[in-house]
Amino acid sequence: MSCSNMTMLVSSKPSLSDASALSFRTSLSPFQAPPSHSPTSAGSRPTTGPIQCGLRELRDRIDSVKNTQKITEAMKLVAAAKVRRAQEAVVNARPFSETLVEVLYNINEQLQTEDIDVPLTKVRPVKKVALVVVTGDRGLCGGFNNAIIKKAEARIGELKQLGLEYTIISVGKKGNSYFLRRPYIPVDRFLEGGSLPTAKEAQAIADDVFSLFISEEVDKVELLYTKFVSLVKADPVIHTLLPLSPRGEICDINGVCVDAAEDEFFRLTTREGKLTVERDVVRTKTEEFSPILQFEQDPVQILDALLPLYLNSQILRSLQESLASELAARMSAMSNATDNAVELKKNLSRVYNRERQAKITGEILEIVAGANALT
Amino acid sequence: MTLNLCVLTPNRIVWDSEVKEIILSTNSGQIGVLPNHAPAATAVDIGILRIRLNGQWLRMALMGGFARIGNNKITILVNDAEKGSDIDPQEAQKMLELAEANVRKAEGKRQTIEANLALRRARTRVEASNAIS
Repeated sequence: MSCSNMTMLVSSKPSLSDASALSFRTSLSPFQAPPSHSPTSAGSRPTTGPIQCGLRELRDRIDSVKNTQKITEAMKLVAAAKVRRAQEAVVNARPFSETLVEVLYNINEQLQTEDIDVPLTKVRPVKKVALVVVTGDRGLCGGFNNAIIKKAEARIGELKQLGLEYTIISVGKKGNSYFLRRPYIPVDRFLEGGSLPTAKEAQAIADDVFSLFISEEVDKVELLYTKFVSLVKADPVIHTLLPLSPRGEICDINGVCVDAAEDEFFRLTTREGKLTVERDVVRTKTEEFSPILQFEQDPVQILDALLPLYLNSQILRSLQESLASELAARMSAMSNATDNAVELKKNLSRVYNRERQAKITGEILEIVAGANALT
Repeated sequence: MTLNLCVLTPNRIVWDSEVKEIILSTNSGQIGVLPNHAPAATAVDIGILRIRLNGQWLRMALMGGFARIGNNKITILVNDAEKGSDIDPQEAQKMLELAEANVRKAEGKRQTIEANLALRRARTRVEASNAIS
């Protein structure tokens, strides 16, 4: 908390019984010398006891800390409730993505023998890369937005070293303002995520990415988002979005391929009164279905219809993960802030009570001394 | 034999229950599906899905995707789907007029394609909202 503010408060009232305050402090110092509270709070403020404002200032500060604590606590609860909603959205999207991967797998197996040419899977020599950077819309969530932007900057540096061109598609208000402040970074489009990502937002991103790739403006599209690992851990990751690998695999930047059929999803549960996250790895069973499948249209046309759906669901998933990470980051940040506020309030009220008592003692002493002098 | 229909969108499951018969608009025209249909895979166009249930025909607007038929189970994966009864006819009509105006205004290839797509979506919604077939 603002120590400078405190000293300013003190210095603004230098005439206020300066000597007496000093004497109180010296008389109190033996009690204060062994810092009974945790070392973290002692580290955050000088150990010499900087809380030395008048009684009224102390009262005001206690009130203001109390209000801040209420706000941070409310934000924490709201974030916790929203994490649940985000998780529900992921669960709701599951049947779709599961079936999609399964179908893609099956059809691909049947199409292996045929020589097909689908534009979305075409691997071209890479000259220009599009980076889709997914950030949050709001701050107050710890290092969440910074982490993903730092990752993006690192990736941009790598691309520059390789001598490749790049362009950014920024999703989320925080990323937008960051890239707007840096006009030397080429940005293709700014998009804003909603409060809850829906297929519509994913569609907008997919459309943009699609047209960039098809028109051969870019040869590779990478998606940077924050993977939700647990309530306290979230990793910024890079996924190659396009060209799609027709087997339904997503490759990250190191060429490590994750089979999309091996799908994870997270589940928020309560254990012994505390929120925890379970992450399930679900191996989607690619169930056998009739080998004599009849294609109503050309296989190419069918893949053409399927791959955009797949692209959409990938983007939607990353948006959902990113939102969940943001909310989790906000939850822990706000929980820390609440803890700090409680600590600060405790310290402040202790000092307040001491000072009040000291003042009363002083007054009694004065009266007794006065009465003694009279007699 | 019963026929099971499952309509999935990225957000939710729109339909998952038994039906008697469906008519699906695919890229190569409409196809009707009755129980014990041969296994098939097809791309689904932007268009109406008609579902026969208890002697009644229900309509659903589908916004393009993919369908798989096999083993008396139909799985339809689409970007978006709306039941005809959930669409407000007046609002849909308004959207259609807006889309028509946009098509007339569109310049350039990309805009024209986008406007035409929007028009087809709007038209499908209006069609689905009209209860009389």
